[in-house]
Amino acid sequence: MTKTKLIALMGASTLGMLMTASAVQAQQSGYLSILVDNGPQSIATMEAWAEAYKAMNPDVTIDIEVRPGGGEGDNIVKTRLATGAMADVFSYNSGSLFQAINPTQNLLPLTDEAFQDGVQDSFKSVVSAGGEVYGAPFAPAMGGGIFYNKPIYEELGLEIPTTWDEFMANNEAIKEAGKVAVIQTYADTWTSQLFVLSDFYNVLAEEPDFAEKFTANEAKFATTPAALRGFEKLQEVAEAGYFNADFGAATYADGVRMIAMGEGAHYPMLTFAVGAIAETAPDYLDDVGFFAQPGDSAENNGLTTWMPDSVYVAANTASPDLAKDFVAFIASPEGCDVRNEAVGATGPYMVAGCELPADVPPSVSDMLPYFQEGGQNAPALEFLSPVKGPALEQILVEVGTGSRDAASAAALYDEDVRKQAQQLGLEGW
Amino acid sequence: MKKRTSILGGAAAIAATFVVFVIPFIFIILMAFKDRQQSALRDFSLPTGFHFWENVVEVVKTRNWMMITAFINSSIITVVSVTLLVIFAAMVGYVLARRKTRWNGLIEFLVLAGLMVPPAVVPTIWLLQGLQLFGTLHGMILIEVAYNLPFSIILYRAFVATIPRDLDEAAIIDGARPLDVFFRIVLPLLWPVTVTNIVVQSVGIFNDFTNPLYYLPGNANATVQLTLYNFQSQFSTAYNLLFTNILLITIPPLLVFMFFNRQIVAGMTAGAVKG
Repeated sequence: MTKTKLIALMGASTLGMLMTASAVQAQQSGYLSILVDNGPQSIATMEAWAEAYKAMNPDVTIDIEVRPGGGEGDNIVKTRLATGAMADVFSYNSGSLFQAINPTQNLLPLTDEAFQDGVQDSFKSVVSAGGEVYGAPFAPAMGGGIFYNKPIYEELGLEIPTTWDEFMANNEAIKEAGKVAVIQTYADTWTSQLFVLSDFYNVLAEEPDFAEKFTANEAKFATTPAALRGFEKLQEVAEAGYFNADFGAATYADGVRMIAMGEGAHYPMLTFAVGAIAETAPDYLDDVGFFAQPGDSAENNGLTTWMPDSVYVAANTASPDLAKDFVAFIASPEGCDVRNEAVGATGPYMVAGCELPADVPPSVSDMLPYFQEGGQNAPALEFLSPVKGPALEQILVEVGTGSRDAASAAALYDEDVRKQAQQLGLEGW
Repeated sequence: MKKRTSILGGAAAIAATFVVFVIPFIFIILMAFKDRQQSALRDFSLPTGFHFWENVVEVVKTRNWMMITAFINSSIITVVSVTLLVIFAAMVGYVLARRKTRWNGLIEFLVLAGLMVPPAVVPTIWLLQGLQLFGTLHGMILIEVAYNLPFSIILYRAFVATIPRDLDEAAIIDGARPLDVFFRIVLPLLWPVTVTNIVVQSVGIFNDFTNPLYYLPGNANATVQLTLYNFQSQFSTAYNLLFTNILLITIPPLLVFMFFNRQIVAGMTAGAVKG
């Protein structure tokens, strides 16, 4: 290759780089593939974003592909990342599952993108690995707490409980009125964990360094009274006979229907259930309210929060600039507006400048005070510690069905956690 | 007396069949007629309104008419793979049964290994990518053929043993070349076991879920079983649409079965008499 040719080539490539750089500012063109999980809200939101983005950039074609959620979805994401067949942009969990897909090798860092300035630091921390940020929030934040049926509360003249004793007193009143006080749905075993997981705000209130000590194998559920309370709360509710008669066979979908239609008064659940209520029982959406799982003191009443899923860009994408621009659009106030329009609001956004519409359902507006000034919230344990035992749901089903007491369940869970911590190679296990 | 017991036995068999096969199917049909709210109850009840047609339209139109693409893809995959399976398995089975060499043991071991060793997903995808076959229909067809070939070979090999060698010899004496012997004499005689193969393999391949899920990514490559994921997700399921979808994709295997039903029974008895 001669020198002139080389210089010409360099000139051409610089020109090309300049052109792509200016294209980032202006309109985008090209082809973008997206892989999204098959939750109806995820699909509807992603389709709305794609439509809005295409309206702004008419030369872009976007292909949305759908994958299952849960364990099958984990396999698909990992397989496609490992074989280099991943879509340009994809949605996946944040937190501990995000760490499991080998982000430093498989994902494109988004640390220096302009949109990250508007993303809350608490979210960035759960999509970071090796000093780089890899994700943008895919959905609003969620809270774990207790859904309640408003008509039942009005009929019996009950107040929203701020302590556990008040909550149990409400349960007693509801039971005496001949209604189901607490809905449990053990056909979907994961739903059994809410009493323990949503209690974590109360754990942190008493033991602010529980997460670090837990990760370092210094604190245990069985020997930390505040952490054991979550197990005891489930046991108390179970022993008092507040559950629906079919709690062993009911599914999550049943639980959602029951809380909406007043077949039960309380349902401990994550706030994403608002979306499920809006789909299966839209007429009853205004009958459902929400409160944080109460602790033992009324002054210190706060919400345990869950970080939303995230969107990532695959490292081997053919069009990184387009992918980054699309992700930036998702994490912008316009992106939030599009989401509000498409599926409604399910919680507060993780992006600065995002507004909730005025007419949010009561279960969402009940959640907002915990996020505002003066409100109190804390992330769930799974966002503070990589240690989460796989058998928690089965252990808690045992507690809920009365075949194991809280203390031995907590001890068994500590044992379950040990295996996982050793697999992760943590120090001190 | 004897007559009465046989009537009772027959009635019990019919009742058992009804409970095991017909009631679930009625449940599917009932669910397909309900709206979303009623279907969320998942009980065995009459639909409160007639929603079947809206459900069908919704299911077929979902995700940009994905159902149509899926039916075309699944039909191509099923028809081509079953054709290849029948031809190759019959050939291998015929040679294995007729020609005794010292390699037979090894070959039979490899066939059994194909039946027993579970295929690994990621290495298979790497191989497909190397051959430029990943994410293509013909790649998927080759995978289905490879995974199902051992089972078909074993069926054919056992059946070829029941065909008298004299027929081959007579054909050769009459001047048939080796391919003529196979295609004009032996293959037609294998019809009963071919029907069994067609029914078993086409239902299996048409209903295959995990293989297309991993080996055939992309919207354009959807197969019918994957359309179920349009309505069923981890936290939320539209049961009315899910069951409408199930109803629609159950029809083709049902037709295959009804079409071949007489032949299957005939084939079984024919094989039994020959013994």
